[in-house]
Amino acid sequence: MVAGVRDWVGVVARVVTGGVWIVAGALKFPDPAASVRAVRAYDLLPEAIVPTVGHLLPVVEVVIGVALLLGLLTRPVAVVSALLFLAFVVGIALAWTRGLSIDCGCFGGGGFDADATEKYPWEIARDVGLLVLSLWLVVRPSSRFSLDHALFEDKKEGTR
Amino acid sequence: MSTRTAGLSRTTKGAVIAAVLVVLVLIGYLALSSRDTTGADGATPSGMTDSYAVTVGDDAAPATLTFYEDPQCPICAAFEAEVGVEVADAIEAGDVKVEYRVVSFLDHASKNEYSSRAANALMVVQDAAGPDVFAELHRILYENQPAEGTDGPDDEQLIAWAVEAGADEAQVRDGIESGAFDQFVANATDQMSQDGVNGTPTVFVDGEKVDGDPAAAVVAVRDVVG
Repeated sequence: MVAGVRDWVGVVARVVTGGVWIVAGALKFPDPAASVRAVRAYDLLPEAIVPTVGHLLPVVEVVIGVALLLGLLTRPVAVVSALLFLAFVVGIALAWTRGLSIDCGCFGGGGFDADATEKYPWEIARDVGLLVLSLWLVVRPSSRFSLDHALFEDKKEGTR
Repeated sequence: MSTRTAGLSRTTKGAVIAAVLVVLVLIGYLALSSRDTTGADGATPSGMTDSYAVTVGDDAAPATLTFYEDPQCPICAAFEAEVGVEVADAIEAGDVKVEYRVVSFLDHASKNEYSSRAANALMVVQDAAGPDVFAELHRILYENQPAEGTDGPDDEQLIAWAVEAGADEAQVRDGIESGAFDQFVANATDQMSQDGVNGTPTVFVDGEKVDGDPAAAVVAVRDVVG
């Protein structure tokens, strides 16, 4: 019974985090140069790797999102998801404390935002929530409707 | 079903799936980076100062203002409406020179890529007719800025305005229609970000960035030209 409820929590965690990743990544696809500028605006990474990160991040986001949605390699993918959310929380918090006034670029866009300091707390709260959901899947990756279930578990054990 | 049909160990299956995901990431990465032309060589308009600046005014002027502007940026249009005339008068009087750094990142806010087409048109006019005609087209463009999310003026209109500003149609038509300086504008936009400028309008006074909201930029410019 309890295990059944937890399986449904896992489904919710996968759909929410996976959905957010897919949308966030896909919105950055049309303008890779803007993604690079959004990364650069945080002023945290050395210039030598900024373009690579700017081009890699949208793709990683979409692939993580699809894997989570499908329940594919849920635990390792959730580890990557949690680490990225942690990095974003730290990045936004540092932008805030250093007095930068930038759009987080979370869903495309980026650059100067006059209202940034009002938005930082909400962006951090949102990413902490998504971090918690990712950590749930790290601790308990098993859930309903997952490809992992079909691929990795014996039929006789997979009755729950 | 899996144990009977797959015949592979859990570890092998996991490794194969992980490898497929990594390959997908690499393919996507190559696709994105190939679509980003930033840094590619492109034609450079003649008479640029400091790589990406068009300098309007007397070189010997005692003060230098630097404006980073996107033609589609509404706050830039408001900024120009606020101080444009005073700045033009101060340039005329020899009190100030202005480095215009034209960038373009707002094509997504236009239905027909007005931002990059207008930025290119400004560079074509600079190339063909120099800074004074550039400054006049710059004024015309901000006075007629299209609303965000609409069809902006087409190339014909940009050519007509370039001619109105004082350029020779035969010298600007091809460049405006072909986007002769599109790559130059893309590189200028990347340079803006490398200069630590994350939005427009951004104003520098004698090389010092003016921080704060657009109202602060207006105050800083008035301090110089007022």
